[in-house]
Amino acid sequence: MPNSLVSIGNTAKQLGVSIDTLRRWDTANRLPSIRSGSGGHRFYRQEDIDLFLRNESALAKQWAMASTGVPPSNDVYCQTRDVFQARLESLQHTLQGKVPESAVSLLSAVAGEIGNNSFDHNLGNWPDVTGIYFSYDLRNRNIVLADRGQGILTTLKRVRPELTTAGEALKVAFTETISGRLPEARGNGLKFVRSVIIENPFTLMFQSGDARLFLKENDKDIVVTQVEEYIRGCMAVIGFEN
Amino acid sequence: MIIAIKKFGTTLVSRPSGKEAWLAFQPILKDVSDTEEVVVDFSDVLVLAPSWADEFLTPLRSRFNDKVKLINTDNASVKATLAIL
Repeated sequence: MPNSLVSIGNTAKQLGVSIDTLRRWDTANRLPSIRSGSGGHRFYRQEDIDLFLRNESALAKQWAMASTGVPPSNDVYCQTRDVFQARLESLQHTLQGKVPESAVSLLSAVAGEIGNNSFDHNLGNWPDVTGIYFSYDLRNRNIVLADRGQGILTTLKRVRPELTTAGEALKVAFTETISGRLPEARGNGLKFVRSVIIENPFTLMFQSGDARLFLKENDKDIVVTQVEEYIRGCMAVIGFEN
Repeated sequence: MIIAIKKFGTTLVSRPSGKEAWLAFQPILKDVSDTEEVVVDFSDVLVLAPSWADEFLTPLRSRFNDKVKLINTDNASVKATLAIL
């Protein structure tokens, strides 16, 4: 066996699951193995194990919070809307057959709305890195979006100068039809996001500045909490069930 | 007249692409009288988000008002978008 391949026993240990689980995941194509040797034993590439273990939301948060902005790795970086559109369509294909058709459609619309919001509000004005971080993790059932833009408070302050905290701004963004792009009359994107999340088996964590909100199915109110971790731009983690 | 939305694409999420669709459609719309019914057909649309719809449907409705009829709106994201627009 080549040195880069890892035995099924070692893989099970690294992932904290049983060998039977790995066999099932292999059959289901969730974590495909490489058959090697005359007995057809299963082996795994270390890079596939690392990718499987990677916690997308932790990586995105690290990127969004870093004091110096550097473009993220190519597989998650959407420098322009066109790249984001292509990857969003790729997400749709990936989700097909794994979640109900209606969920594919709604999750794509919600991710599309959040990702495009980042471009709408920062076009020509990105403080450092242009574009967004966009990834998804089928193992943890989530979709992650982040930007290093100006954040919701700075954006909404242009039309609501009385706003003083990121928490107030986040609440306004999710509850009122308001546009940070005056004089354009628009701004119902995050209200749409909220209505889809609370009417479906989805969850949403959204943070901008030091304000974070968490939404789930059937939630009536918007509860914003102040957190220590600071994200100048925005970060969203959309969760979904099987 | 009938507007087949799928001819603009099947994943319709951003404002710029909605605005582009609206602008590209102007030469056809200019020949439609204000009293003619405008049927908007959403069949085969996979994803629609309010940003796109706001750039296309909102101006269409302001021009043709109640002459705009929406059909084949069964897709979950189409329904959710139309509910909030």
